[in-house]
Amino acid sequence: MSERDGTAVKGAELHKAYGGVLALDDATFSAAPGEVHALVGENGAGKSTMIKSLAGVIRPDRGRVLIGGEEVRLRSPQDALRRGVATVFQELTLLDRMTVAENLMFGREPRGVGRLIRRRDLPAAAEKVLTEHGVDSVDPGELVENLPLHQQQLVEIVRAVIQQPKVLILDEPTSALARREVEWLFGLVRRLRDEGTCVVFTSHRWSEVTDLADRITVFRNGTDVGTHDELSEEDAVSLMTRREVSTAYSQPEQGPERAVVLQAEDLAAPGLHGVALALHAGEILGIGGLEGQGQQELFHALFGLTPTTGQLEVRGKAKHLRSPRDAIRAGIAFIPQDRKSEGLLLSMAVRENLTLPILGQVAAAGVLRPSTERTTAEGMIEQLHIDARWPGQPVGTLSGGNQQKVLLGRWLLADSQILLLYDVTRGVDVATKQDLYSLIIELAGEGRGILFYSSDTDELAHLCHRVLVLREGQIAQELDGPGIPTEDIIGAAFKEETHA
Amino acid sequence: MSSTAETPPTPSRLRTTLNPDRRKIIYGFAAVVALFVLGDILKPGFATASGIQQVLQVSSFVGLVAAGQTFVILVGGIDLSVPWVLNAAAIVMIAQASGSNGQLWLGIVVALAIGLAFGVVNGLGIALLGVPAVVMTLGMNGIAQGLSLGVTHGLTCSGCTKPPPMTLVNLMTGKTGGIYTSLLIWLAVIALVTFVLSFTTFGRRVYAVGNSQRVSHLAGVNVKVVTVALYGLSGVFAAMAGVALAGFGGGATVGMGDPYLFQSIAAVVIGGTYILGGRGHYLGTVAGAIVLTTLVSVLLATNAPNYARDIVYGVVILVILLLYGRGRSEA
Amino acid sequence: MLERALLSPISGRGEQGPRQLARRRQLVAQNAPLVVAVVLVVGMLAIYIVLYAISLSAFPGTFEAASITDHAIPLSLAAVGQTMVILTRGIDLSVGGMMDLTNALAALKIQGGFLTEALWTVIILLIGAAGGLLNGLLVAFGRIQPILVTLGTLSIFQGLALWVLPSPGGHVATGYTSLFLNPNAPSALLWVILLGLAWVAFRRSRLGVQIFATGNDEQSARANSVPVIRTRLLVYVLGGTLAAGAGVALATTSTGGDATGGDVFTLSSIAAAVIGGVSLFGGRGSAVGAICGAFVLTVLIDILFFANVDPLFQPFFQGLFLVLAVGASTLVGRYLMRRR
Repeated sequence: MSERDGTAVKGAELHKAYGGVLALDDATFSAAPGEVHALVGENGAGKSTMIKSLAGVIRPDRGRVLIGGEEVRLRSPQDALRRGVATVFQELTLLDRMTVAENLMFGREPRGVGRLIRRRDLPAAAEKVLTEHGVDSVDPGELVENLPLHQQQLVEIVRAVIQQPKVLILDEPTSALARREVEWLFGLVRRLRDEGTCVVFTSHRWSEVTDLADRITVFRNGTDVGTHDELSEEDAVSLMTRREVSTAYSQPEQGPERAVVLQAEDLAAPGLHGVALALHAGEILGIGGLEGQGQQELFHALFGLTPTTGQLEVRGKAKHLRSPRDAIRAGIAFIPQDRKSEGLLLSMAVRENLTLPILGQVAAAGVLRPSTERTTAEGMIEQLHIDARWPGQPVGTLSGGNQQKVLLGRWLLADSQILLLYDVTRGVDVATKQDLYSLIIELAGEGRGILFYSSDTDELAHLCHRVLVLREGQIAQELDGPGIPTEDIIGAAFKEETHA
Repeated sequence: MSSTAETPPTPSRLRTTLNPDRRKIIYGFAAVVALFVLGDILKPGFATASGIQQVLQVSSFVGLVAAGQTFVILVGGIDLSVPWVLNAAAIVMIAQASGSNGQLWLGIVVALAIGLAFGVVNGLGIALLGVPAVVMTLGMNGIAQGLSLGVTHGLTCSGCTKPPPMTLVNLMTGKTGGIYTSLLIWLAVIALVTFVLSFTTFGRRVYAVGNSQRVSHLAGVNVKVVTVALYGLSGVFAAMAGVALAGFGGGATVGMGDPYLFQSIAAVVIGGTYILGGRGHYLGTVAGAIVLTTLVSVLLATNAPNYARDIVYGVVILVILLLYGRGRSEA
Repeated sequence: MLERALLSPISGRGEQGPRQLARRRQLVAQNAPLVVAVVLVVGMLAIYIVLYAISLSAFPGTFEAASITDHAIPLSLAAVGQTMVILTRGIDLSVGGMMDLTNALAALKIQGGFLTEALWTVIILLIGAAGGLLNGLLVAFGRIQPILVTLGTLSIFQGLALWVLPSPGGHVATGYTSLFLNPNAPSALLWVILLGLAWVAFRRSRLGVQIFATGNDEQSARANSVPVIRTRLLVYVLGGTLAAGAGVALATTSTGGDATGGDVFTLSSIAAAVIGGVSLFGGRGSAVGAICGAFVLTVLIDILFFANVDPLFQPFFQGLFLVLAVGASTLVGRYLMRRR
């Protein structure tokens, strides 16, 4: 049934400028009741700004926002919610020191005498809500902070859905979800659509867009460049970038048989059960599997962040890593997914961020040598083409891709021969991703060993010489590449569950 | 987190060189000058060379304590144990030296060692046990107070009522080349602390830890060692102030450290150091300490009643913070 | 209505048995600090009774109970006020100054007949609320850190207290005192219980939930339609009012007014709240715990007395107790986290 007549939500000829930069430039987007509408585009194309305008987070400078055909001026997300627009943002808004039940039932708690909340009845009420929405894996009595990220995302989604919105906006809802949960979400979204809800979503994963969306709107440079019922990936990419892309990935050279730089035997830590792996010089070794199968624990173990048992040899020498310092000294570098809270000192200078692990090398007897430090930093800025005006510029004022380069540069300066890259491309736009891919391949080509985890299976498939698929904290399968079929990786990740 | 708007325009080099943090230091010293001018108008003769020196000398005690406070606040901590660590150090020095110049240096060393010990325990509790700084240093203040009073029977022991050795008294009240010796000592401390913060790897690590403990840890900075060292330093500076005050004031008294908790924190904050850590400098604190002391001197010069001082202190802090806070959306 | 088939439910640990168990464990874990606080109070009372019995060959009676309760009341009130503020991830250093001021006012004004006394009580509480409002406005609109705001107002309140009462003196009318205190029976316990019950109800009110949400995460609270600014304002107003109540209580329990008598309560109210399991990082804690903390600190003094500890050493043991209690609970918490 086609209910596309009439719009559920619309942003018409929106303009929004930050400083001198136009984030939205005469952009129009509209979605109808009873449809799933995908919003795609590179980072910075304006889709986030469009979503924020529709969700009441920001107010556009010009243009009109319409909900249900009626022009509105949204003062806040709560205002939008009252008018029937619920949004799930990438940044979760759960109260982590409260239980799942307290979060789900917030503002709608069962009340008793004197309008006082009946705390005793909260878990049962929440349990009911969760079951109704097909979520059985989350304990409503659990504190949110104790839940893994993907379960928090589930709760967040359910909380938005139970507001019974006319328009549900999901900003990158699947990036944190495990495969099975993505299927659950798709089921939920389809049901909502069939009940007449308008669902707007964004995703960096093209397969999800084509799977789920009834219509696709492409954004580029702050404006909409087309809405389609069907769109092939090639067409979408060329619409988004306005250039023909032959192949999205550069291919790594076939990994030469070189010395093992990192060897682990029987590595065990909480969430990690007896992992053995060997990483060679010049090799990009992928780590795959469903979300939360021990990948993070593995990376943390190899960087000395968690107490670990088992044997570890770094370049032929047995090591016991008790802290990141031990790991860094052994030539290991870790680039975390969240560069803002784990990677960079945002308000400090590019130079200071680059030299942090090698302060000893730019100082004599604990006294810094400013000129040495500056030349060192400038060298790396040049080498990686970091777009910084001068080494003293605060790193927080750089763009995301350049920040990621600073982070890589830090470890190149430290002469780290083993790079642990943990989901470094998540939330990075297509162009910057390409930059990072070539950089990673180049670094491997120089003889570094690279352990590469990504939540994007395509990346693993194309970029890695080998892929180890983790399942329940163990290596489930080893796949040789490059050019491993994506289905093989996904298949390996799922194998166990088809038995159960 | 994914719109072009997330990339702010590149700031100019000049604006970064003269960033708000550095500007606050300049404002601080400008305020000092303004206060001296005001004082001289209210009471002619206030801003003579000797008048200014006297005010600066009193500032130096706040400045010493606030040096340690600056260090711990730079990493987002706070040291509430300052009053009785200062007091304990003063008592120990007086008792150890027991009035004789020969014992003075040993007395000073022991006093500083005790300050260091209290500070290190603070740091260990905070860095290793994970006790919040407010609670840990609050508890240690009680411990220092109870020990000082209990062991000396309420400062009635024979050694602890002795006057300070004359060498110390001369050092604290005398002049060298027309300038108070104590001021020269403070100048040396200022130079040293500035050097450590701005030009050493330790100083760099302090700012790194203050900006983000997690990031610093992942970049190989030993956050715990830095934390313990900073609290240790705070203890040493408090003890140093205790020794100096005992020499200046003619002995150790019960509660001599109490005013310095409020004043040291106020000096740091007025000097523009961010209370959540990562930004600020001791030079700002120095300005803050002088502003506070000058303000009190001006009030005393106008014969304002005692309670007015407290009220003015509070109002000044709040007004300055409101001025700083304007246009800053974080925190 | 619900087409479950479409939903491919995500089942995990489906069985009810372990789930029930998990929930009970969760309940304990969530309230562990409160449980610890209660255990501490009971333990301290037991030690007190034993020491009392040993040194006096008798058991403490109603007089002793009354004495402990009377002494604990000002601190309990201050600690509950402090808890409100700490729950929103703030801190109120001005508690001591507010108690100085209200203590001084109470000693000067609360006398001369029921009506005047009642009127002045209300006025003093309103002054507390106004002081709290000043804190709240500066925190919520001035965007200044709570620790700095209240450091500033602490100084201001202290100055005002000295202006009101330059030297110690005055006293609260005897009739008024007996309303709260009875040397022969712990009637003041009634007030403590009322305070606790008021908290239990407050925790279940809209504002109560909003306070916890604000302290947990301001952004998330906003996303949950919590009026964060209003909540902060109200929290400081409540905190100020409770501090004023504590100042009045202090005036009634001590012989005379003193414009510096409240100073120690800034830090001891924080200590009581923290010992009572209130997290300085916001969003976790209970006023009942804070009241327990206040009693623990009060009984500790009596224990030291009966243990023949030189009173001069008192701050030493108080400090040690605070550090050990908090250090131990942090370690236990970390151990529990690791076992999970």
